[in-house]
Amino acid sequence: MAPILEVKGLKTQFRTRDGTIKAVNGVSFDLDEGETIGIVGESGSGKSVTSLSILRLLPTPPAEIVEGEVLFEDKDLTELDERDLRKIRGGKISMIFQDPMSSLNPVMRIGQQLLEPINLHLGLKGDVAYRRAVELLRAVGIPDPERRIRGYPHEFSGGMRQRVMIAIAIAANPKLLIADEPTTALDVTVQAQILDLIGQLRKELHTSVILITHDLGVVAGIADRILVMYAGHIVERAPTDELFANPRHPYTLGLLASVPRLDDVGVNELQTIPGAPPDMLNPPAGCPFQPRCPFAIEKCKTFPPDVTVGREHKSACWVDVTAPAEIERAKQRGFIPLRPVGGSFIGETQRSVQ
Amino acid sequence: MEILQQPDASQQSGIAAIELTPDLVRKRRGQLRIIFDRFVRNRAAVAGAIVLSIIILMAIFAPIITHQTATYDPANTIPDHPKPSDLLAGPSWAHPMGTDELGRDFFARMLFGAQVSLLVGFSSMLVAIVIGASLGAIAGYYGGWIDNVLMRVVDAMLALPYLLLLFVLSIIFSNGTVGTVVLIIAILAWPATARIVRGEFLALKHQEFLMATRTLGAGDLRLILRHILPNAAGPIIVNATLLVGLNIINESVLSFFGFGLTPPQSSWGVLLGQSQTFFNAAPRMLYLPGFAILITVLCFNLIGDGLRDALDPHLTLR
Repeated sequence: MAPILEVKGLKTQFRTRDGTIKAVNGVSFDLDEGETIGIVGESGSGKSVTSLSILRLLPTPPAEIVEGEVLFEDKDLTELDERDLRKIRGGKISMIFQDPMSSLNPVMRIGQQLLEPINLHLGLKGDVAYRRAVELLRAVGIPDPERRIRGYPHEFSGGMRQRVMIAIAIAANPKLLIADEPTTALDVTVQAQILDLIGQLRKELHTSVILITHDLGVVAGIADRILVMYAGHIVERAPTDELFANPRHPYTLGLLASVPRLDDVGVNELQTIPGAPPDMLNPPAGCPFQPRCPFAIEKCKTFPPDVTVGREHKSACWVDVTAPAEIERAKQRGFIPLRPVGGSFIGETQRSVQ
Repeated sequence: MEILQQPDASQQSGIAAIELTPDLVRKRRGQLRIIFDRFVRNRAAVAGAIVLSIIILMAIFAPIITHQTATYDPANTIPDHPKPSDLLAGPSWAHPMGTDELGRDFFARMLFGAQVSLLVGFSSMLVAIVIGASLGAIAGYYGGWIDNVLMRVVDAMLALPYLLLLFVLSIIFSNGTVGTVVLIIAILAWPATARIVRGEFLALKHQEFLMATRTLGAGDLRLILRHILPNAAGPIIVNATLLVGLNIINESVLSFFGFGLTPPQSSWGVLLGQSQTFFNAAPRMLYLPGFAILITVLCFNLIGDGLRDALDPHLTLR
């Protein structure tokens, strides 16, 4: 299947008074029709900047896409003018944001906000548009949509608002839905509902989804493939099962180790990745994870290439983290190997439950 | 609207039924209703609104109240052969506020003057708000050099001696008609509005919901008019209310010094200007229009304060 989105060598930088912040450093990936990918990484790893760069939503200046292509339906989005971009935004590609509390206009009724993309992209007006708005609210699970459509955002709970945001995002039947930490601001039970909803809509509408999160548990159940980002680079990419079963990048190992496990309560201390993410004004030479990495070797001073380590599985690391000798060496630097529980990791357990 | 009246809408979902207890239904009020309720709680503002309504009604129905034709021509109301006792006469049943130096009914002049003063106050407010809000919105939304240029113009306008500018402008442009006076007063009033609106836009433009709207493909104009401006409505409405009062004062100042409207047109400022000559003979002719201006402007300021409290989202009351 031909990919609907191809990102090639995307580099986004912020010019600030203190220097240039290289937020995204040559990110490449593609996305098939109907496919869901998860982009995972900690704060400041460039996940959000990547997604905002795709739609060119970052204010220029200070942000600037200095290199790369974003191919969507044979068009390079980095070269479109504002007018054409507006047709794509909300029409072909739409976005859901982290905080449903602040993502809706407080002085506009839900209905009015929902009608915007319907008017703008579908060209529907009046009764037809209104009916579609009601149907959308029903589709995302808002009870009594005929009445709720006249409500203001403050009359909705966080989870309900995120449902409204999703309704707005899918209003014009987009080909691609970018969800930027859609569940981070919600409590856990609501998180699961929203993820279910996204998963269900994706199947019904055959929409591709980019799910951005810092929570491996969130992507485990829904993504087909996972990209792990660190300091503006994709350090590891693999199909979801493969990534959880066979993580190859030391950073991915660190992320997996720092997920709290229900089967481990009170036994072992929760692992953290020592150190802090690099200062993006002066990123370290070579592998950006090297200063925090227990596997680091002399060679890490130069940037590692993507090494194919399995089926559709690439990791940007010089070291084979599965080699017993390397593990022994890392252990001496405080590395604690992941202990598979019943042969599976937390993410997989969750996946099989679903 | 059919869709709203579908019979199954009410029994749509159990969740909705649980959320909406009768108690909650009773408490549910529209946005306007909430603002109105908060406004009503402010006694001074309500008093101001009532007094102002009376003044406005009297101005509108001036022809009926004073038995004049709707197109009031002060020249026609001058008695043909006035007796000396008809000039500058004190209050009487026929002339509740007495007569002026030409024997005209002063009450009629006051009411028709109120028409003009209020008309000038409101229309110059509208002009000033349209100019100020547009330029303020552009400056705040786009920022950068546009903001810089516009705000330096505003600074310059605000730095000029206010009265001097008022007089110079009217000497150059005014021909004594209502239209030119309105424009001159509006030119003085817009910079303050522009500043307020710019501030609101600066604070609002980085809100996440605007980014969300942008991802839907909304253009700049749509964002400014439909999404940001309504959020800034509160401060703009308050500013507009206060501006009407301020503009009435400015009209009076202009007309008092003879730069504004010219007699025989009547406005409170014109009355003040004409009456100063007769201060010893008939001090009421100064006191009455002065008092009218004072009361009217006070009403606008009280209402403005009341609206400020009522529209302030930080004072959300249940």
